[in-house]
Amino acid sequence: MMKKLIPLLLCLLLLTGCAPKAESLDIFAMDTYMSLVAVGDGAFDTLQQSANIVNTLEQAMSRTIETSDVAQLNATGSAELRYDTAVLLEEAMALSAATLGCFDVTIAPLVELWNINGENPVVPPQEEIDALLPLVGSEHIHLDNGSATLDAGCAIDLGGIAKGFASDRIAQLYHERALEGGFVSLGGNVYVHGENTEGTAWHVAIQHPEDSSGYACILSLSDAFVVTSGGYQRYFTAPDGTVYQHILDPFTGAPAASDLLSVSIILPYDADKLHGAMADAYSTALYVMGETAACDFWAAQQSFDMVLVTKDGRIIYTPGLIEHFTPVEESGYDYQVLTA
Amino acid sequence: MTTKYSPPELRPKKLDILVAVVVLVLAVVVAVGFYGPKLGQGEDTSVVISMGGEVVERIPMTSFPDGKKVLTHNGYTLELCLSYNDLPSSEGQLGVYVLSSDCPTQDCVHTGRISRVGQSIVCLPAQIVIHLEGASNDGAPDIVVG
Repeated sequence: MMKKLIPLLLCLLLLTGCAPKAESLDIFAMDTYMSLVAVGDGAFDTLQQSANIVNTLEQAMSRTIETSDVAQLNATGSAELRYDTAVLLEEAMALSAATLGCFDVTIAPLVELWNINGENPVVPPQEEIDALLPLVGSEHIHLDNGSATLDAGCAIDLGGIAKGFASDRIAQLYHERALEGGFVSLGGNVYVHGENTEGTAWHVAIQHPEDSSGYACILSLSDAFVVTSGGYQRYFTAPDGTVYQHILDPFTGAPAASDLLSVSIILPYDADKLHGAMADAYSTALYVMGETAACDFWAAQQSFDMVLVTKDGRIIYTPGLIEHFTPVEESGYDYQVLTA
Repeated sequence: MTTKYSPPELRPKKLDILVAVVVLVLAVVVAVGFYGPKLGQGEDTSVVISMGGEVVERIPMTSFPDGKKVLTHNGYTLELCLSYNDLPSSEGQLGVYVLSSDCPTQDCVHTGRISRVGQSIVCLPAQIVIHLEGASNDGAPDIVVG
């Protein structure tokens, strides 16, 4: 009897002792709140190194840190770029071309003019907007072997893509360290790695844009990036009651008059591609495009998945998400699968 | 030449049954120990307040003080309140929200009321995070994006 019981008890003990330990780290950086979780051997060290990655990227790419590559470039019109800055700027120019300019880092002068995320946002006179619009366009950036120059008066802001790039670099680290699981949440930019502590895919909820307590849907994902853009949290209300959300349309120079409440882009991890940065840029671009152009863009590419929340109460998602998608019954939304 | 073959005794003995029962009981005990604390999350949601990346207070939602709770950090002051949600998608849920803040962006006020485990309100200028935490997931997502 005891000969049979002892091995069984030992097996049970082993089962209870094998749960991997999860480590977490919360930091304020890149003008956002970041939450990181790592599960597996070396989790703590991985998080420390992840924080170093974020800090290093911020020092190179912040528009407000005087010694950064971006600040130098904006101030003097030319700069020698650190490796990652050059890589990301080249990627940003490619993504601007791919989205026909709906995402463009040269929007910086207009971001500064509107100052929606700053202390005293005001609605600028139309003539000031019109004066800056000719400065927007990636053709104003000239990149050559790690050196960049800008046309006169132009400036860049990598804020719409740098967090996605940071999640790319951290995802790469999680894979190199062969972590069992983890996630990175960098203010609207999420990367989920491996399995959660329950041993299943990670359950990523997309925020209900009109009810802060609710969710629009839940996605079950592993090794994937999810980036959401929307104008429902960052905005300011003018004295006449008009609400101006923070995502600017590069063609009008004003906050995008989108018929969408939020856009979420989902892309798998790929060691050879910058899918975090791409998802970040696409989420902004498709919000600017609006529903019809966003759906056309997806149909032409079909290289990514997306969830659109429309202002008229619909959630549109792509067929690639069907097996990963759980609607939220009480959300009040009408769910529709997009067909090519 | 013929060999006599006698089949093994397949009927379980009393000892076998006893071993099976003991294994079953142990499995139930282990399962209850492992999953038990993860049940009933809705009843023990806590409001976790962090300032500058450090947790400074953890208050069970049901013990949250009446009126406003004033939070000050990094030169800014937030007023945190508790109330029931009246929106159809989360009606009747107890939640917290930032009533007012003297921060420049007002993102924390714009976030509105949160009532589910895993949700957060973040005030970047004040470096204050209000996060809802429960003893288990109980169907809650691992991460919220948006």
